[in-house]
Amino acid sequence: MKALNLLVIAILTLISLIYLFPIYWTVVTSLKTNIEVFTHPPILFPSQITLSNFYVSVNVFRAVSQTAVGSIPWMIDSTIIAFVATLVSTFLIAAPAAYALVRYIKSVWLARLILFMTMIPEAVFVVPFFIIVAKVSLLNTWWGLILVYISFSAPFSTWLLMGFFNDVPTSVEEAAQIDGLSPYQIFYRVSLRLVTPGIIAAIILSFISCWNELLYALVITYSPFPAGAQTVPLFLTSFIIVEKSFAWGGLAAAGIFTMLPTLIVGVFAQRYLARGLTLGSVKG
Amino acid sequence: MQRGQALKVGLVLASPIIVYFVAFFIYPLFNLLQNAFTSSSGGFTLANFQAMPSDPLLSVSLSNTAYYFVGSVALEYSVGFGVAVLLYTYTGRLKSIFRTIIFLPLMVSPVVIGLMWLLMLNTNYGPVDYLLGPLGLGSTNWLGSQSLAMPSLILANTWEYSPFVFLIIYAGLQTVSPQLYEAASVDGLTRFQTFRFITLPSIRPSIVVAFLLNSIGVLKGFDLVYVLTNGGPGFSTYILSFYTYVVGFSFFETHYAAAVALLFLAIIGTFVFLMLRFTSVEEYLGLRRLRT
Repeated sequence: MKALNLLVIAILTLISLIYLFPIYWTVVTSLKTNIEVFTHPPILFPSQITLSNFYVSVNVFRAVSQTAVGSIPWMIDSTIIAFVATLVSTFLIAAPAAYALVRYIKSVWLARLILFMTMIPEAVFVVPFFIIVAKVSLLNTWWGLILVYISFSAPFSTWLLMGFFNDVPTSVEEAAQIDGLSPYQIFYRVSLRLVTPGIIAAIILSFISCWNELLYALVITYSPFPAGAQTVPLFLTSFIIVEKSFAWGGLAAAGIFTMLPTLIVGVFAQRYLARGLTLGSVKG
Repeated sequence: MQRGQALKVGLVLASPIIVYFVAFFIYPLFNLLQNAFTSSSGGFTLANFQAMPSDPLLSVSLSNTAYYFVGSVALEYSVGFGVAVLLYTYTGRLKSIFRTIIFLPLMVSPVVIGLMWLLMLNTNYGPVDYLLGPLGLGSTNWLGSQSLAMPSLILANTWEYSPFVFLIIYAGLQTVSPQLYEAASVDGLTRFQTFRFITLPSIRPSIVVAFLLNSIGVLKGFDLVYVLTNGGPGFSTYILSFYTYVVGFSFFETHYAAAVALLFLAIIGTFVFLMLRFTSVEEYLGLRRLRT
């Protein structure tokens, strides 16, 4: 029994190392000097650690040079876009809709429709969305991308919050009704407060999915020059395309800048997020 | 509250999502249908659909998608399921640390995952190449070879998505009632028998949901292909999501792109249909209970 447990620990440790290794490798590449990056066999523990990859552009040959620190303006764009899209879709659209669907309209078919909308691939609607955004002349703007991001974060948050509202006992609302609150007051003052964990999960997950989104950003805010509204994944992909075979240290550094915010939030909010990530199939 | 009044309150609260629904679902869908069934001169036509069987790139993309789908789902499912069962049998103090580590890939942006695997899979300087060197696979051009690009993509995708399967199965395992296990040990079942006849049937819903959600996630994927291989070398990693994008934004064939997008939507729709068939939305929301 004891030997079996040790074996299980050994296997689990090995598995954990496999999951950790790509992250470790990216971190360690970003800290290596250029000489140690391009070495065969690859160096697992660098003898020299440098932070220069984060701000020094190593290219002498190309006119366009980027660094991880150069991604900061993109991060600001990403933050604003993800934040506005998340707040609008969670509070203005998803919360009242989820409450209405669970308490007043109670249609199984509408619930199924919402679930279906969360599953639509970005590639399906990318052309129509491009046409719509172009029509209202919002290409290459924050608002263009915000509108499009609402398209996937609204049904997702609605679906997630429906589960949470459903867990609120109706007796609480009945008591509030007896106290003379109107249905809207009950929603806003009572039920909405009771699903705070759901709201937190919806905000974090929708922020992360907006932050990570690539395809819509590629199409809606693509312009050859750094325009007013380009997000971090776009910065990173164009960086990758240019530097794929050259500035690995710099690329890895930019990768760390991109993933760090979501990774930190994710680890600390882990318990809140499991239910949302699995579209409600995990109740935790 | 009276029925009519309840409906009124419901509609007021749902009015933003109704606007949303028209703007972000009905209108784009109408736009797709309109484009798919018209020619560039504007007349009604079925040509966009009739062209599909003879489009070599579409058939390549579909067979690549099948390869990518079967490979990824099979690998992700077995890894995710195996790790979940393993962690479930382990009862020590390191449990939450293991759980957190396996959770990490879900929080990394897919573009960064692409970058990570570019670094990992690089010929000569990447660790994967080095580790497999003793097997005679050193100096292999993982992403640049027609036959290895897809397996490489599946590998990266497995790193990204197997934790997702893990999460669902692991949570399912935790809901199995301890009383069932007590009964099993009273009846003298072996560990394997307990797993086969008690655990597995109890987590059946999780098994199905994990499979279907994972399938849809794999089909939706775009970022990894875009960053790691950009469809290449040749057309060996063109998958449906990537092809839909290429038709629209590299070939600029808006009408044909709409037809391909509808085909893609139909495939996803089939999976969603299966999911609704085998699992119950009502159960999740308790709607059936509420209605009575």
